[in-house]
Amino acid sequence: MTEQKKEKKSIFKILMEYDRRIIYLLIFILVLAPLLAPFSLPIEVSSTTQTYYDVINTLKPGDNVLVILALELSAYNELQGGLVASCRMFFEHEVNLCIVAATPEAVAIPSLVIDQLKDVMTEHHYVIGQNYIDLGYVLPNEPSVVALAQDFHSVVRQDASGKSIQGTFLDKVNTWKDWRLLSQYYSGASGGGSHVIQHFGLRGTPMIFDVIGATINTYMPYLNTGLVKALLGSTRGGAELEYLIGKPGSGLMAMNSFSIGTYFVLVLIILGNIGYYGYKYERKREGVSVNQNEVV
Amino acid sequence: MIMDIFEILSVVVGTFLSVSMFTTLYGKSNPLYSLAEESYIGFATALTVVVNIMYIYSTGIIGIQAGDWVLVFGIILGCMILFRIVPKYSYIAKIPIAICVGAQLGLALRTIVFTGFISQIQATVVPLFSGNSTTLLYNWTISISVITMLTFFFYTTELKGPLGWSAKIGEYIMYASFGGIFAQTFMGRLGLFTGFMQTYMTPQWKIPYLLGNLVLGFAIVIILDKTKLLKKLTPEE
Repeated sequence: MTEQKKEKKSIFKILMEYDRRIIYLLIFILVLAPLLAPFSLPIEVSSTTQTYYDVINTLKPGDNVLVILALELSAYNELQGGLVASCRMFFEHEVNLCIVAATPEAVAIPSLVIDQLKDVMTEHHYVIGQNYIDLGYVLPNEPSVVALAQDFHSVVRQDASGKSIQGTFLDKVNTWKDWRLLSQYYSGASGGGSHVIQHFGLRGTPMIFDVIGATINTYMPYLNTGLVKALLGSTRGGAELEYLIGKPGSGLMAMNSFSIGTYFVLVLIILGNIGYYGYKYERKREGVSVNQNEVV
Repeated sequence: MIMDIFEILSVVVGTFLSVSMFTTLYGKSNPLYSLAEESYIGFATALTVVVNIMYIYSTGIIGIQAGDWVLVFGIILGCMILFRIVPKYSYIAKIPIAICVGAQLGLALRTIVFTGFISQIQATVVPLFSGNSTTLLYNWTISISVITMLTFFFYTTELKGPLGWSAKIGEYIMYASFGGIFAQTFMGRLGLFTGFMQTYMTPQWKIPYLLGNLVLGFAIVIILDKTKLLKKLTPEE
């Protein structure tokens, strides 16, 4: 009884056994607070984001750019900053922009992006259906991606609203060679990523990717091989791009919550380790061995 | 006015369903989570069906109308897959599936050798004695990591001596990379959560609906739990 009481009081035991719902609650509060009362933490632009920015800056007016949205609505929350900032840059460079949804959910995303960029589109004389075309859903399986790369018009005949694409800048697009840049926004959804690299990137279409945090590691090797020219990672990448173009948006707004949440997890990892080793030491002193599963 | 009401309703429903999803963090199955989960499955399935039907129309039917008669075979093969639901004739579905698998494999094998293998090997052959200090550090790290990790996967010989040391180093490098992957994954999940919160907090008029639904959602679950109704009202999985 006395020993049990003594063990209950042990700070190490508390650190090991506290209710995990406390962590959820704290993360929730730490994410919410900076959004309710914004403040500014310093941000540094990584070399990968700088490369991404530089690649887009090589575009010239009239270049054809294909944007592939291979993400779901949930991932849109994470990639919104990078997507909107990239599209802003595309419009500012007055390129011919074509958007394709590679998941059924992504068909809703172009309108969400355009709503935020109406001013830039007006300023640079964009006309929906002429120099900006939303093609809606295109099946992202391998044969379809191959067909898009080899004979574009065999796969796409209409835009998202059902209008024929004849008479638009897409008349001059037939193969992978006709795209000056392919920009993909990817959440790990089936299809998408690897097929596009295999059938566009490998042939020589310059490609840039904006991916969610969980898939950065998957696409980093493609960046090293040069098949992907630049990679923008998660909300952090989006925030850095917004910072570079000087137009703060959702990415920069989220960065405080993001940073604080990350610091918090670092603290938890340290506390967890202190708890584990402290408890192990305590038990060792009492002559009891500790099974690692005891702390999980 | 109607637009405003529609927007408010969409925010109310959206936040409530999202919060219902988050109630799983309470640690117990609950009816709100089941409601949100099943609503999402229903919505996603319906959306997928509609979008794909529209795609078949815009690519296949319109294509045939434009004189591309080859597409008729695609439509026929697609229809043949539907025979899967008739046990007696389900073997018919295997024909289009076999064609799809064959075509997909043929297309993938042709290119994946380059993107997933040759290009990756080429990318590890990096200059080790030229460039600035950062580049050198980066290149040496790549080379050492690749060599030592490859030795870890030698299964046909006993790993002892220099080979054993190399495999050990490779093993620790792998642990470090797992840590990196965990951190990236955590960052991604935090990004999703932050993005969600932001979506429902901008513009500011959405905040009361989000906070209200958060309080309401978790209050319902806690009350149901305390009154022992949680298990009773939760559908069996």
